[in-house]
Amino acid sequence: MALSGLDIYKLLPKTNCKECGQPTCLAFAMKLAQKQAELSACPYVSEQSKAALAAASAPPIRLVAIGTGEKKVEVGNETVLFRHEKTFFHAPGIFVRLKDTLPAAEADALVEQLHNYGVERVGIKLHVHGVAIENASGDAAQFAARVAAMQGKTDLPLMLMAAGAAAMEAGLEKAAGAAPLIYSATAENWVEMAALASKYKAPLVVRAQGDLSALANLTEQIKAAGVEDMVLDPGVRTSHGTLVVLTQLRRLALKGGVRALGYPIVTFPGEDAESVEEEITRAAQHIAKYAGIIVLDHFEPANVYPLLTLRQNIYTDPQKPIQVSPGLYEISGPQPESPVLVTTNFSLTYFSVAGEVEGSGKPTWLLIVDSEGMSVLTGWAAGKFDAAKIAKSVNQFGVPGKINHKKLVIPGLVAGLSGELEEELPGWEIRVGPREAIDIPTYLKTWS
Amino acid sequence: MSRYIATRAIRGANTVVAEAEALLKAAIADLGPDTPVAFTNTAYFLPVNLAFMGRQIAKLSDMVPALEDAKRLLHPVPPENMWVPYLGETMDSGMATLLAEEIIEGIRFARGQEPQPITWDGTYIPTANFVTSDPMAKAGKRMNGPIDDIQLRAWGIQLVDGRMPGFAALIGCAKSTEVAVQIVRELQQRSILVFLSGSVNGRSIIHQLMEAGVEMGYDTYIIPFGTDTMATIYPLGFAARSALTFGGLKPGMPREILQYNRARVFAFAIALGEVDDLKYATAAGAINYGFPVVADTVIPQILPTGITPYEHVISMPFDDIEGKDDIERARKLVQRAIEVRGVKIKVTEVPIPVPYGSAFEGERVRKSDMRVEFGGKSSRCFEYLRMAPFDSIEDGKITVVGPDFDQIPPEGFMDMGIVVEVAGRKMQEDFEPVLERQIHYFVNGASGIQHIGQRDITWIRISKAAADKGFKLEHFGKILYARFHADFGAIVDKVQVTIYTDKAKMEEWLAKARQAYTHRNERLAGMTDDSVEEFFSCTLCQSFAPNHVCVISPERLGLCGAYNWLDCKASNQINPTGPNQPIKKGTCIDANFGVFEGVNSFVQQASHQAVQDVSMYSIMNNPMTACGCFECIAMVIPEANGVMVVSREDPSMTPAGMTFSTLAGVAGGGLQTAGVMGHGKYYLTSRKYLSSDGGFKRVVWMSSFLKESMKEEFKAVAEREGDPNLIEKIADERVATSVEQLLPFLEEKAHPALTMPPLF
Amino acid sequence: MTPAVQIPIEKWTGKVREITLGATAADGGTRAKTVTVGGENTLPFLSFEGSIPHSPAVALEIQDHYPNDWSPLLKEYWGDLLRDPAAWARKAEEVGADIIVLKLISAHPEGDNTDAAHAAATVKAVLGATGLPLVVLGPGQADKDNEVLVAVAEAAKGERLALGNCEDKNYRTVVAAALAHGHLVVAKTPIDVNLAKQLNILITDMRLDLDRVLMDPTTGALGYGLEYSYSVMERLRIAALTGDSMTQQPLICTVGEEAWRAKESKVNTGVPAAWGDWKKRGIHWEVLTASTQLLAGANIVVLRHPDSVARIKQTIASLMAE
Repeated sequence: MALSGLDIYKLLPKTNCKECGQPTCLAFAMKLAQKQAELSACPYVSEQSKAALAAASAPPIRLVAIGTGEKKVEVGNETVLFRHEKTFFHAPGIFVRLKDTLPAAEADALVEQLHNYGVERVGIKLHVHGVAIENASGDAAQFAARVAAMQGKTDLPLMLMAAGAAAMEAGLEKAAGAAPLIYSATAENWVEMAALASKYKAPLVVRAQGDLSALANLTEQIKAAGVEDMVLDPGVRTSHGTLVVLTQLRRLALKGGVRALGYPIVTFPGEDAESVEEEITRAAQHIAKYAGIIVLDHFEPANVYPLLTLRQNIYTDPQKPIQVSPGLYEISGPQPESPVLVTTNFSLTYFSVAGEVEGSGKPTWLLIVDSEGMSVLTGWAAGKFDAAKIAKSVNQFGVPGKINHKKLVIPGLVAGLSGELEEELPGWEIRVGPREAIDIPTYLKTWS
Repeated sequence: MSRYIATRAIRGANTVVAEAEALLKAAIADLGPDTPVAFTNTAYFLPVNLAFMGRQIAKLSDMVPALEDAKRLLHPVPPENMWVPYLGETMDSGMATLLAEEIIEGIRFARGQEPQPITWDGTYIPTANFVTSDPMAKAGKRMNGPIDDIQLRAWGIQLVDGRMPGFAALIGCAKSTEVAVQIVRELQQRSILVFLSGSVNGRSIIHQLMEAGVEMGYDTYIIPFGTDTMATIYPLGFAARSALTFGGLKPGMPREILQYNRARVFAFAIALGEVDDLKYATAAGAINYGFPVVADTVIPQILPTGITPYEHVISMPFDDIEGKDDIERARKLVQRAIEVRGVKIKVTEVPIPVPYGSAFEGERVRKSDMRVEFGGKSSRCFEYLRMAPFDSIEDGKITVVGPDFDQIPPEGFMDMGIVVEVAGRKMQEDFEPVLERQIHYFVNGASGIQHIGQRDITWIRISKAAADKGFKLEHFGKILYARFHADFGAIVDKVQVTIYTDKAKMEEWLAKARQAYTHRNERLAGMTDDSVEEFFSCTLCQSFAPNHVCVISPERLGLCGAYNWLDCKASNQINPTGPNQPIKKGTCIDANFGVFEGVNSFVQQASHQAVQDVSMYSIMNNPMTACGCFECIAMVIPEANGVMVVSREDPSMTPAGMTFSTLAGVAGGGLQTAGVMGHGKYYLTSRKYLSSDGGFKRVVWMSSFLKESMKEEFKAVAEREGDPNLIEKIADERVATSVEQLLPFLEEKAHPALTMPPLF
Repeated sequence: MTPAVQIPIEKWTGKVREITLGATAADGGTRAKTVTVGGENTLPFLSFEGSIPHSPAVALEIQDHYPNDWSPLLKEYWGDLLRDPAAWARKAEEVGADIIVLKLISAHPEGDNTDAAHAAATVKAVLGATGLPLVVLGPGQADKDNEVLVAVAEAAKGERLALGNCEDKNYRTVVAAALAHGHLVVAKTPIDVNLAKQLNILITDMRLDLDRVLMDPTTGALGYGLEYSYSVMERLRIAALTGDSMTQQPLICTVGEEAWRAKESKVNTGVPAAWGDWKKRGIHWEVLTASTQLLAGANIVVLRHPDSVARIKQTIASLMAE
């Protein structure tokens, strides 16, 4: 049972010292209750309270970090089965597999490509999250050489894949301090692998072929051996099988309270796929349904960009709508005489309006007002999209300098603002546009 | 049930069934039992027999058992001295009549006598897709007969989707040709289908219309079926087939088919001229469908509701109808018939000389652009909507009592009162204020008109441009008539508007209005959560806060301030499937916290199990969730043993260490967070405000905006709480924006919260 | 040793309604085959705790007017077929579609404004060219939708078409036409659980049986609101499985229309190099939008590119394969 903010408040020092970054102890308690703050931020909390709170707040799925520094990948710590129940917190890391049998020049080129790959989307930089180096040669030295060759080429987190402990250690030596993900501990080799994980302070993948009881058993033994940061590979590779087992694992961790399975999961969408295309569709499935690390066998921008976009979509907090940057957007090359439409910066509002304007083919200025991500009606009701704010944006984004008229089209849903807006923007003609985006093309046709 | 009507209907049924039996016998003898029987252009056999009895009559011999069905429904005519309830018998007789009438029409078809030949001057060609091998029909010398299936579906779609309000069966003969034409025109104007049959002394309304040169046919929505009463079976067959086609019903489901018609087919009959036994019997058949009958002669009335949704039989002797001439009398007859069936009229356009639409809602009319104003600084203006007895007002009547504004100099002013009277079977006095507030939106929709305020602080301006285009005072009436019908048709059947500029009248009505405002205020104040059985939900905001459910009670309005309990009640009447649903309170689990079994189970379901329990009157224990639209946020200040309330208008820092917008993130999103709660401004003045936590006395800090804008209300609250200086003891952002500043202030003022029991 | 892990099984009380599109000669139509969707009483593809009697179906969208605004990638593939709805439909069947979605775009008052007779003739021609069940959508303008769909309903009596779209402001005529002529309807609402429910209630209120109503919850394309429709669909499906009768309609998603409107699939000029090869990206855009909607509960995905059809059919097959 989760503790309420008031329950937590009772356990806090009640000094309002503000050192946690929150204005009052109660505010801090409420943040804690919503899991938006860490108890460690409070310097004065008593040991007794700490124990009481830790038990209540320990995450059902462990947060595991792969790599170090800025690019480290943190996965796990999920609290729900469906994103609408709250949100998904830690988006899966997209890794690309690099076999140590690949000729050095090609391998270096691939690494360079991975390292440099990046593109911005709605204000967020999308990139690849890591490289999985596989000891396909079976030769420890070759493996170690490949790992070593990463030095200085990229700071992307690594995953090291080797069957034998010796090869693994050879690789780990070359990545010391980089906390790479070790793949993998099995019923046969877990003792050695767990020892390596401890020694190199690296997270460890635990694999058991298709048997969750065996998997749980294995993680408990490894935990007993002192390794806490684990990632699961339930060993299933088919599309249906992966969906089922990943769903079961998430349920067991969240609803079944099975701590032994409360770890993030790694998947290999390419291993059972007949084509690169199929690999991509499966990776998309793993993004939506419960993977923590996804290891791709192929890299190509046209394949990875859609996956990264999906990852961004699914891991958007449903209660904090995506916002587009406020500003004056140009659609279809507007001229000084083109119409100016205004709407809010809620992404869905923006996409619908921009889409319809674009579809109409009419060159248009689209003024996006900062409504703190609220849609037109909500923004209006909340006072985030009112006459003053619209007027301010008109001037802030230099609309008068771009056009040779003084006509502004407001959404039909806020027709009521027109009078007020005419007062805020003296000399402007405020026109009332359609209520729904779909009617914009028709409206623009008659605009003059 | 009128004994007179029962007697005549039962007698009529016995006669017509006997007649059918004789005709059938003769037909079988003449033509042979296997002679085919079919209505033209339909796959529904003889539809009434098919629908109600499940019989597929295809040949004469199939009629023998069908007639037995009719006979089983007959009853003996009640003797003179017997007084029992006759309803069942009468209804049975009506059904028997319809079965027999259809059998007779079927026999006539077999004999080639149907559709009825036109034996006088005039022709009638039914429709392009009417298929017949009959030369007489081809020559346009026959009546329509049954409506063919293609037309049934085409009209059916319009009846079902609401474009056509319903159909009227006109039976008999009108007082004059002029009256006949007027009745039909009135119906046509409203897109009501007109079905004609019957006659009086050999003269039928069909004769009258043909003489007047009225074009009849599918295209004009006027269908002549036959000059005898018997032909009325075709409209009733049409109704039965509608239920089979559009109601998803199967033949042999009489109860469901009748119920379908009662609920969905807006039909009625007008009996013109003398009513004989067969007409009574046929009328009884129509009543089975829930179709009422209005007669223009003196007959006994059957007023109480029962089989039909409203009155069954209405008598409106034509010459006694109030009206300056027969034309007006015809209009009123039709109007009454429409009311009795509850046919809803759609008004799609607002007939005024200036553009109209929601796009004009926000317009301002500046002083220099103004032709005239009502209210404001220099004159008085009020608006008042009241419910009126159904028969006391006339729908669409708009009157201006006193001068228009043409004598007022430009940019001048004058006194005005707008009185709207509405009537409707679902109208309740409680809806008056809800509807009255709509006047603001409705009037504002007109281009060049500005409306501000409400009640007796209404302030309206008409622009010069609007006046130049011909806007007059009566147009306020036109706007209100059209919009109340369009938007509130579910509860309003009649709207009458009177505009008063005559000084004495205006003052007389202003006094009445003020009395009503006071009465409403008192009623609202007197309405308590304990006095009602139902609260209402509001899930309007689930589009962005998917698990949030507002529970709105008489003493706790919606957190956005826009919906109180009465609004929700009206909204639910207007839109029964919409976001405001009634919540049966059910067992009270905890009167102090305000926990109700019904509320909990509703919220569990509507929040998709996200919220299990709700306390209506507490911030500490399962407080109600919030979407994000709240006017105020209350948050516990543990150090002060009380709560603070910040309003949306207040941008300042609060003693909770957060501003309104930061707090909004904690309070909103449909999450239940004990210690924080979003609510409406006026909830602060409720007796149930945090009543389980100690009530209004717990408020230790409140935005100055609230204190100022609700001064009078808070004064009353302070009195009620027994501490007239209470408001002064409450801090605001001008004296404290932190707990450190708050506590000394409370100490100094000796705020009651400091000595109240600990909050937690 | 820990005890063996008990796999938790969800016991759902509700199930999605089973709906059949199209009618063969035996049922008064002329379709060579019918398509049944729905019937599942478990979350998408989780057959270990319930039954999924029918695979999701894949539809291809065609229009009765040359689609000027479509992506060049689509125009390139379909070529001149885009000018002939019947031939287009025939080809769509060949490339593996289960259902044809015909949009009567030419009836739009701002387009060619073709009339009801034209619409009826187009539908007849398409019915003649393919044996697949048909979904017929109006041009999306209320009055014209009503005009053409009524004529289509009559012309195709008995074919068990799905007519759309019914929207909250305009559903009565389409529902009435479906009632009169034995068709289904598509009820479309803008990404909102309650509005979807409300429209279903209103349609039921007109006495159209719920086994004749498909729900279109409005699709957001990958990168353009996909997450909203994804979550609304998951919520609708969970509500359906927990027994909320008014949410138990199979879901139809207009994936192609949305995905091919995205800049990523529509154009290749002035876009970042990191977006990669245009054609691959375009197909991925449609496929990933569709596959993600399938995971959220889509019963019919409407696509535009045949390559996507092949990939989505393979995706469905491997998700269904136990």
